[in-house]
Amino acid sequence: MSANASKPLIETRNLVKKFGSFTALNGVSLKVYSGEVHALLGDNGAGKSTLIKILSGVFPPTSGEIAVEGEVVSFASPRNATEAGIGTVYQDLALNPLTSVTRNFFLGRELTRFKSPFGLLKMGEMHQIAMQEMKKIGITISDPEQAVGTMSGGQRQTLAIARAIYFGAKVLILDEPTSALGQKQQMEVLKTIRRVQKLGNIAIILITHNEIHARLIADRFTFLSLGEVIGEGTSKDLEGDDIKRLMAGGAKIGDLAKELAI
Amino acid sequence: MENSAVSRKETDRLDAKSFFGVIFARPEIGPIGVMLLLFGMLGYFSIPAGEFSWNPFAGEGFNALGIRNNLKVISQLSIIALGAGLLIVAGEFDLSIGSMIGFAGACMAMILRWGFTIIVPYVSFAGGPHIEFITLIHISDISPIGAILITLCFTLFFGWLQGFIVVKSGLPSFIVTLGGLFFLRGLTEVSLRSFNHRPDQVKGATTVTEIPDIKNIIEVPGYGEIEREAAKALPEKDLVGIFDALPASTVADLTEKLNYTYQRVADAKTDIMASRGVKPLERALENAVESGNTQMADTIRDKIATFSIEPVVAKSVSQADVARAYLDTVFSARPVANFFGGDILEPFFDWLYFSVDWNTNNFGNQFAQGLYSCVMIALILALACHIVLSRTQAGNWIYSTGGNLQAAKANGVPTDKVKVCLFIFSAFCATIFAACQVFEVNTADAARGNLKELEAIAAAVIGGIVMTGGFGTVLGIVVGAFIFGLAKEAFFYIPGIDGSFYRVFLGLVIVASALLNENIRKRIMGTI
Repeated sequence: MSANASKPLIETRNLVKKFGSFTALNGVSLKVYSGEVHALLGDNGAGKSTLIKILSGVFPPTSGEIAVEGEVVSFASPRNATEAGIGTVYQDLALNPLTSVTRNFFLGRELTRFKSPFGLLKMGEMHQIAMQEMKKIGITISDPEQAVGTMSGGQRQTLAIARAIYFGAKVLILDEPTSALGQKQQMEVLKTIRRVQKLGNIAIILITHNEIHARLIADRFTFLSLGEVIGEGTSKDLEGDDIKRLMAGGAKIGDLAKELAI
Repeated sequence: MENSAVSRKETDRLDAKSFFGVIFARPEIGPIGVMLLLFGMLGYFSIPAGEFSWNPFAGEGFNALGIRNNLKVISQLSIIALGAGLLIVAGEFDLSIGSMIGFAGACMAMILRWGFTIIVPYVSFAGGPHIEFITLIHISDISPIGAILITLCFTLFFGWLQGFIVVKSGLPSFIVTLGGLFFLRGLTEVSLRSFNHRPDQVKGATTVTEIPDIKNIIEVPGYGEIEREAAKALPEKDLVGIFDALPASTVADLTEKLNYTYQRVADAKTDIMASRGVKPLERALENAVESGNTQMADTIRDKIATFSIEPVVAKSVSQADVARAYLDTVFSARPVANFFGGDILEPFFDWLYFSVDWNTNNFGNQFAQGLYSCVMIALILALACHIVLSRTQAGNWIYSTGGNLQAAKANGVPTDKVKVCLFIFSAFCATIFAACQVFEVNTADAARGNLKELEAIAAAVIGGIVMTGGFGTVLGIVVGAFIFGLAKEAFFYIPGIDGSFYRVFLGLVIVASALLNENIRKRIMGTI
């Protein structure tokens, strides 16, 4: 699957993040390759969100470094991260439900006839691009003027992913994309992720709680617990119970059963 | 999974929109319905009792003067409703609009009346510490554009300040601009009282009067710049002098028009006198018929049939009349004052009088000279706002700032800038409103603009602006202003009811619109 497995598209080296006396991340190293889905798993409070926020430029790490295509980068703002090719699709998707698909697709980066906030929008071109980009990863929308609020959760997810890719994301961070969806729409999102994976030039970091989804779609796994990596490997390396055990923070299923036996 | 459900896609669940579906899904459709209803009501009820006509323009509501006055109220409200409405779309409120109108009007009027001075106080220690003043600038004779620009400096700064406080502190704009409401109104009253202070008074009045009629200052050869009314009141021989200087074609044209007017006035007089003369006979006829005196009745009928009076002879056109008519046609020497406070479309209204014979009052004179200039200003503003809101990047930013602030921020929209700019725009609209008022009536009053902020918000809500932001159109705002302006007139003409019922009506419309808007919003958000 991995097109150029030798060189990671994005790599973190020994990331440490401290909030005062609290250590959120304690030396996390991660390698993500293009054309791969890298599942980031862990219990609540394992440090997944902190890692994501560092990668997307919300705050800088206390120590350690991030390298994109081998070059060390540092982000002062989310905008820097976007420019460096890291697109983050948050759980709330950053969409305005009251306006149209196209207006959301180009939100903040509208195509205008001349460069000014008062430049007229190139509505026709924007409609076309939005439809085309969404079709590329699998959803045909009938009307680009459709309000986002009337779309299904899966369609919204696709819109947000298509938007991130169109605006230059080489690394796509998906923050629990299936958590708030019904069964059928979860599958739709997984299909979308699969199509992005097949594009071959994009690395996907998938944060999820759902072991089944991770196993269905991920090529590589990293398990976090209490701010540290407690296990990693490709889908072939990890068999059956390993995933379940590592997701629970390293506990054996037998231990858990014992814990429950009051 | 390989079953019939596969061939059915998510997109199939969204029905194709029908033509009428598209129209009825537009948020303005309800308000437009109410507006048409009010149009009909005003047209129908303003037709004088006893007469019947399907033509809504036959009544007082939509005769030339009615249109002129109604459109003035509607456009003035539109101007401030645009400022208020766009701000609500971005998710904020401005309650200081009304006070801003009072402040801007007073500021403009004071500058026009007394000039503009910057005085800096400082503490002087020469002969004991005391405060002295140094005058940096004093301009005594300021042009209208100067007065407007100086006023804009103050009002736009205040708008910026309110916006700045709101976005930096995160306080609700309701409370910040409520502060602005009291602050500005108080400041206006205090300044007017202190400037109006006369030696024999402890405190002055809260009005500014005695401003010249700036928009009607005209350039008359031989007299320089002079107010139109003053020029028309010149002695007879001076007017004849003005007449002598006119080219022959102008004289011929004006004479023809005056002849027409005088003839119309004479005809109207004849009609009035005839109806007055016939009335006693008709009353006598009624009495005769009632008492059964058929012979008498017949005699009176004959008299009515043959009744005629000598037609009134039209006044002849004198040279001074032509000169006065000419002075009426001279364009203002103060185009800026005229732009805000003058009239527009005079040639069209002249045509309606001279050629169409519609713009005529009961005495045969021309009814309305034109429309108030604020109609044009409101149109320009509305058009500009419509383009910005629906067709530009700024418009998308405004919608997203109000629709989902976090999403807009995450996508790099400068939401704070958007909000501050709209606070400034709201102050700008209030200033434009004030300019229209000051240059039209040539006075200012600290009480001007009272409650206008609430009217503006009400018009916006009636027009389909959702109070929580992110949704609404400029067309809707203008329709809301129409509803507000028409309701008062329409209810005034309904026979047998108190005119104040229009407030009852508006109260209901506001709540109904808000419910409707919320329903549309929820439908789009997918929560119902």
